[in-house]
Amino acid sequence: MKRKKSGKPGLINIILRNFISKPATIQYPFQQTVIEKDYRGRHYPDLNKCTGCSLCKIECPADAIEMVSIPGEYIVPRINPRRIYPVINYFRCVYCYRCVTICPVDAYITTNDHRLVSEKMINSSEYSLSTISKGGGSE
Amino acid sequence: MGVSKVIEIPYVVELPVGPQHPALHEPLLLKAYADGEEIVKVEVNTGYNHRGIEKLAESNSFYRNIFICGRVCGICNTVHANCYTRALEYLLGLEPSSRAKYLRVVAMEFERIHSHMLINAIIAELLGFEALFMNIMLDREKIMKAKEILTGNRVVGDYMMVGGVRRDIDGVKRDQLINILKKIRERVVYYRKLWMEDDTILKRLVDVGVLTRVNATKYSFVGPVARGSGVRIDSRASDKYDAYGEIPWRIVVYDEGDSWARMMVRWDETIESIDMSIYALEHLPSGETAIPDERKLPRKFPEGESYARVEAQRGELTYYVMSTGGVNPYRVKIRTPSFLNIIHSTILYPGYTVADLPVIFGSLDPCVSCMERIYVVDLNKGVRFRIRLKDLALKKVV
Amino acid sequence: MSSISRLSKLRKFFVGEGVIKPNRKYFVFSSDNIRLLFSELINTIGYENFYVSTIVGTDLISENKIRLDYYVVILPEEETVVFRTYLPRDNPVIDSIVDIVPGVLSSECETHDLLGVVFQGNQFLKRGFFVSKDIVDKKQYPLRKDVKV
Repeated sequence: MKRKKSGKPGLINIILRNFISKPATIQYPFQQTVIEKDYRGRHYPDLNKCTGCSLCKIECPADAIEMVSIPGEYIVPRINPRRIYPVINYFRCVYCYRCVTICPVDAYITTNDHRLVSEKMINSSEYSLSTISKGGGSE
Repeated sequence: MGVSKVIEIPYVVELPVGPQHPALHEPLLLKAYADGEEIVKVEVNTGYNHRGIEKLAESNSFYRNIFICGRVCGICNTVHANCYTRALEYLLGLEPSSRAKYLRVVAMEFERIHSHMLINAIIAELLGFEALFMNIMLDREKIMKAKEILTGNRVVGDYMMVGGVRRDIDGVKRDQLINILKKIRERVVYYRKLWMEDDTILKRLVDVGVLTRVNATKYSFVGPVARGSGVRIDSRASDKYDAYGEIPWRIVVYDEGDSWARMMVRWDETIESIDMSIYALEHLPSGETAIPDERKLPRKFPEGESYARVEAQRGELTYYVMSTGGVNPYRVKIRTPSFLNIIHSTILYPGYTVADLPVIFGSLDPCVSCMERIYVVDLNKGVRFRIRLKDLALKKVV
Repeated sequence: MSSISRLSKLRKFFVGEGVIKPNRKYFVFSSDNIRLLFSELINTIGYENFYVSTIVGTDLISENKIRLDYYVVILPEEETVVFRTYLPRDNPVIDSIVDIVPGVLSSECETHDLLGVVFQGNQFLKRGFFVSKDIVDKKQYPLRKDVKV
């Protein structure tokens, strides 16, 4: 292969151009980073469709899902006889979306929410329970 | 000839595994004995450890292992998942659809592009060229965006599944990807011209760390390190897995065997990868679906053993999977290319100066996340102090 | 298939053969012949035309054996050939070939550290090369089937 020495450093062009233009850093939080719509972000199950089969818990590679029983005051559809629902621990999750693709009834809702640092929302229980409604008093 | 300074370089090969079990890593010590400026002998002391994964893989099901094995290495995660998935497909006798094969090639070539740009940026930084390092990283951000469009995540794209891939692309995304690739190609051609002509880069890289053709196969070097010494090996050409048999490309081989040849192999491969990705995206076959239904895949695998090879960014990566019927595999063996390249690299150092050591080490492309602490032991004074690998390269200490 | 025909001189060592999926041929040989096998291989095709890719050790606890596979890539066709041998599980000792083929150094050290196979003649073998200190202190070999880590 031919290597020829040109005598002057070849970087002069980029250096001069960068000298006069503005920095390339995105000034977060004043500017937001551009994220794709189907980025693998926060996900939670929709309890209107969930049957409580526990396949997502068995298949999770990070063991981040636990099956928890639904509190008594919620109205649960008849397809979920055991009244259990999956709770995802967002700090253990690796966002591989195996639970989303393995679910037999496609019960998972996916978003591209990537800002997951929070003291309160460490698992998906609140998001899931907000999809079903509470019954009134005696039912 | 009293040796008065011993340089120990603790070096960490960190293969991050993920939150499921702790990543065990120990430093690999390259004890270099230097007589004045010249290196006389190098010893390998302790090793790295990613073996937790091989034991872990025996207690998880075949499908959970796809995600675990994809997290052995952060930079090469797609090729690890691909190799394991193809080993499973050989066991089952399945073959993915043609469209899935082309999409797999696109994902793997994207990873090759960003990894080669990364190691060239690191070499530039070790030589002292911080401005060049920053510029290459800026252009690398474009390829990370392309990966996000294709797989859903910038770094760990959990893209491979037995029987195909996990998501598909439509016409809009395809045009976006082809635009990004065309922009990157101009920049990469410019950087390659820089490596061919720039005086300062040539002075530091030419004739440093020469590896002869006989030693390249005798000591089992793989990947761009071997291709920079005239060995014509590439797993993509020999196994012709996925769609590599249908896309036109050529193997890049240089004969000089020094660090310059190794970095030039990587730049040429980057340009080849960009051309291959554009060809694959323009000729995507349609008609069959690329996404298998994960719920219908078999849970129990038949008895048998299989061996899959893939051309990772750093060389030939191999997976051996043995199953005795059942839900978990009996044995999974992973052999990464950095394992061979780094542990056998002790023959490359003697005869060169101490400041050449980081350059030779960087030109091997160690799959490493941090390797910048060096202890200099001054035997005369009995004092140990720490310097950065960069300072050693710039001759700031000895 | 021309690479296999070039290995015809090694046929005298083989006692069995088979195929690992997808299309890698394996040849079983007795573990005493390993140095002769590799010397003959070097004499037949030379150092420039092959490299040892990896050594895979498997603990077959039900048959009371440890199985070693030597994966060799023959150039220039780049075809993978496997040489397989079995060792008794309670005394897994085999000769080392690190002086004639230095490329097996890392694989032999790893197999020793993780499975306990002793390669006679390899002076670089030591425990703790890859395994962490607490397991070495318990004198366990992590990849054996009866060890829980």
